[in-house]
Amino acid sequence: MTYGDTPGGGKKKAPDAVSDYKKPLPNPSLNPEVSKPFWDGTKKHELWVQYDRRNNKFVFPPREVSPGDLTPMDELEWTKINGMGRVYSYTTVYQSSIPAFTEEAPYVNATIQLDAAGVRMTGNVLGLTKEQLMNNELHINQRVEAVFEDITPDWTLVKWQIVDEEEAPSAEE
Amino acid sequence: MSFRGEAAIIGIGELPTQRTYLGKSMPGLLGDAARLAIHDAHINVGDVDGIITEGGITYPAFVAEYLGLSVRFATGSSMMGASGATGVALASMAVMNGLANYVLVVIAQDRNPALGGGGEGFPGHAGEFDFPYGPAAGANNGYGQIYQRHMELYGTTQEQLAHVAANQRFNALENPNAVFKGQPITHQDVLDSRYVNYPLRLLEVVMPCGGAAAVIVTSAERAAASLNKPAYVLGGGTGLDDFGALQKPEITVSPVARSAPIALNMSGYSPRDMQFAQFYDCYTILESMCLEDAGLVPKGEIGPFFESTDTTYKGEFPINTDGGQLSAGQPGLAGGFRHVVEAARQIMGRAGPRQIERNDLGMVNG
Repeated sequence: MTYGDTPGGGKKKAPDAVSDYKKPLPNPSLNPEVSKPFWDGTKKHELWVQYDRRNNKFVFPPREVSPGDLTPMDELEWTKINGMGRVYSYTTVYQSSIPAFTEEAPYVNATIQLDAAGVRMTGNVLGLTKEQLMNNELHINQRVEAVFEDITPDWTLVKWQIVDEEEAPSAEE
Repeated sequence: MSFRGEAAIIGIGELPTQRTYLGKSMPGLLGDAARLAIHDAHINVGDVDGIITEGGITYPAFVAEYLGLSVRFATGSSMMGASGATGVALASMAVMNGLANYVLVVIAQDRNPALGGGGEGFPGHAGEFDFPYGPAAGANNGYGQIYQRHMELYGTTQEQLAHVAANQRFNALENPNAVFKGQPITHQDVLDSRYVNYPLRLLEVVMPCGGAAAVIVTSAERAAASLNKPAYVLGGGTGLDDFGALQKPEITVSPVARSAPIALNMSGYSPRDMQFAQFYDCYTILESMCLEDAGLVPKGEIGPFFESTDTTYKGEFPINTDGGQLSAGQPGLAGGFRHVVEAARQIMGRAGPRQIERNDLGMVNG
């Protein structure tokens, strides 16, 4: 697996100083308390989302009410889900609004449909060479798995690694 | 409730769309567009007794005071690019119910670096869950993904959608308000332009601009006495999506799938009756999927449609006859309002060299 051509892919360990990391950190501007369990989870290299038991559905991004049902937050249970999913769609980015990303272009910005029902996440798909990227060799429905990248001592991002179809366990919740 | 035929646009005003508007503030631009529309409607400033602004940044009380209007009906229409089109529907309801005689709908977008006017930055989840992963410039990320998925599901090709941009540039050549006036491009030029993010090429993406537009809406009764040929409002509907909402069932389906049937049912017409369309077009793919969702083209068949149909103002089904936002420029909050103004202009028979012949009935997606 080649990581060199994807954003931040070369750094598997946290830089010593926060300033080493030039790209935007997650900015929980809506309500940091609400999404804290998600980011606490990624630091442990785990994927946690809210679960609305009354309506049997997962909720992401984290909210203070369950969309569609308005179930209050204190009735939503934080639940660990497995990181298997598929590429729902993607775009190969050559120019970003954020200069630190443009410097690393091209890279993939994708929407991942997780096996956990209803949950989609934005992210980067790793493991494609520059040539593969420029030939658009990534395909919709490609099987992917969450991997975790410790970008600073405080923050760990979720990224997505291509896995072979046969290697993927059948994943329900 | 229906406002079919109960209200009409009797005056229009539009400022040129341009990259920057140095020396102009939002209320200044609103004032310029309002003056044009009021004069065009052959009424006096004192006749305006209703106002609808975008409401979020340009809230009605401040704008009314700045413009010196004394109104008895006012509200905001905070629908981003769709604020103007929604404002016309709200204005129609107001005049048919006697809440006002003449409603000014006026929307602007400054592009004045000195005032920090970029019109960007909305509250939401993006800063936390999208930006760390390298968003494409502007809104390109989501539309690139929609494009990719439309290609996957329906076999749509980039060659097909390049016609959208090329045809609209042809139209813009006859629009003195267009930012790209006098700059022709070919279908091949679109395909030769660089990728911003695959599959979106540079010439399939709007240019952020400043600008403003305004209309005067009045009751059918008053419109009948207007010196201008009125553009009657026959129906309107609303559908909502948060653009950033990746959780929706299918990203290649737009909210137009919900809004268009409401508008059509109210009007009593079907998509087949439409003679032209002015459709929101921040990207070739967005316009394409909205034309499908409105029923003007069967879902998934937009590619062959653009291959076989002349959509210029000279063609059999004209679309975005002023160049649309792709070739006239995207004036931010007023972006979708331009489509309303151009539709009214065509129906009023005042589009000059780009006037279409069949101009009785058209559909707008703002």
